[in-house]
Amino acid sequence: MSIIIISSDIAETEAMIAGAIAEEKGYALLDRRVLHAAANRYGVKPERLNDALERRPSLLRRLPPRQWRYYLACIEAEVLDRLLADNIICRDVGAHLYVNGVSHAMKIRVLAGKQACREAAEREGGSLEKAEKQRSRINRRRTAWSMAAYQKDEADPAGYDLVVSLDQIDPVEAVRTIVGASAYRKFQSMTYSTKCLTDLALAAQVRAALLKSMSDMQVQARDGSVVVTTRALNRRKRETVEAIKQLAGQIPGVGYVEVHVRNHIFGKVG
Amino acid sequence: MAGTLEVLLLDDEPIVGRRLKPALDKIGCNVEGFEDPGAAVARIDEKQFDVVVTDIRMEGMDGIQVLEHVQRRWPGTRVILITGYAKMDLAREAMGKGVFDFIAKPFRPDDLRRIILRAAEDMGVFLDTDPDGDAPADQ
Repeated sequence: MSIIIISSDIAETEAMIAGAIAEEKGYALLDRRVLHAAANRYGVKPERLNDALERRPSLLRRLPPRQWRYYLACIEAEVLDRLLADNIICRDVGAHLYVNGVSHAMKIRVLAGKQACREAAEREGGSLEKAEKQRSRINRRRTAWSMAAYQKDEADPAGYDLVVSLDQIDPVEAVRTIVGASAYRKFQSMTYSTKCLTDLALAAQVRAALLKSMSDMQVQARDGSVVVTTRALNRRKRETVEAIKQLAGQIPGVGYVEVHVRNHIFGKVG
Repeated sequence: MAGTLEVLLLDDEPIVGRRLKPALDKIGCNVEGFEDPGAAVARIDEKQFDVVVTDIRMEGMDGIQVLEHVQRRWPGTRVILITGYAKMDLAREAMGKGVFDFIAKPFRPDDLRRIILRAAEDMGVFLDTDPDGDAPADQ
């Protein structure tokens, strides 16, 4: 019983490796197709959610930061909810950045290597140098996105349990290596790790519900007790607390809500 | 007919043993409780328990050392670790060393009962189930 989260510097490589592992292990594959379910659940357009995974907030693209955070929260809530089912391969929904502290979630980074650039150059009829520049551009954009969204560089190997370079290990061997590593007892679910994931999923649901109408919410959950930290103007503290308690209390599984409100700095200046 | 399970329960906080022992007795466990790891290990040396439930942070000997001792002496015994200082690294270390399950405090006696029932099933022993929920074992 485990979760394998695959991330790669090239989407096609990620899809290929994740698909092969899912087939080999007989696990379900969770990818961007889940965005339709998330969109239905939260009443937003799937294209908006897809956009939120691709881009940072931008006024030109009519994606304000608050809306962007809300879309990401909707995706997190849906993905975490599905990960509770266990025995899942997950890719392309940013899970490697927000599934934290869950010992049975094994995070893998697959480095596509030079061969992928060569293949891209052949496919597009361009030079290898051009293909490498193109990949560097995409990687810089991805790093900027992951830093803005989760304050993490998704290319940092420290964020993963295993990093596999396809320059050194061919894809078939890479899949075998990952499947073998996933059988380690360290990556099997236990009462504690299942509870950690349940708490994360509940916190994500509460956060998504709050971010629909509010901003700047940090949510932690433990055994159905939820702690929300936010900021508000002094004169609006009471109503903010009431609104949060009311919204969070409606989420199934929430038993108790504690709200911490810090002073909004602009309110003080005003 | 329901079987019984020999369980050793080790936690240096007396309240934990006091709360958990009756809960496990109810499902047919024969529980011996200890607060001192040295005394528990001495008992483990002389008797094979089906399940050992141990806290991790204790004076003199930690739960991982108890786990290793049990594995050397009685490889078939299932060990369950409980701790108020649960972290992912510790959970992975414990699982890697072959612990049956790992649970963070505070938990309800019913949570531990469920794990014990799974351990029993794993050993082919079928205990009486008691679905009653109760208050947390400790806070």
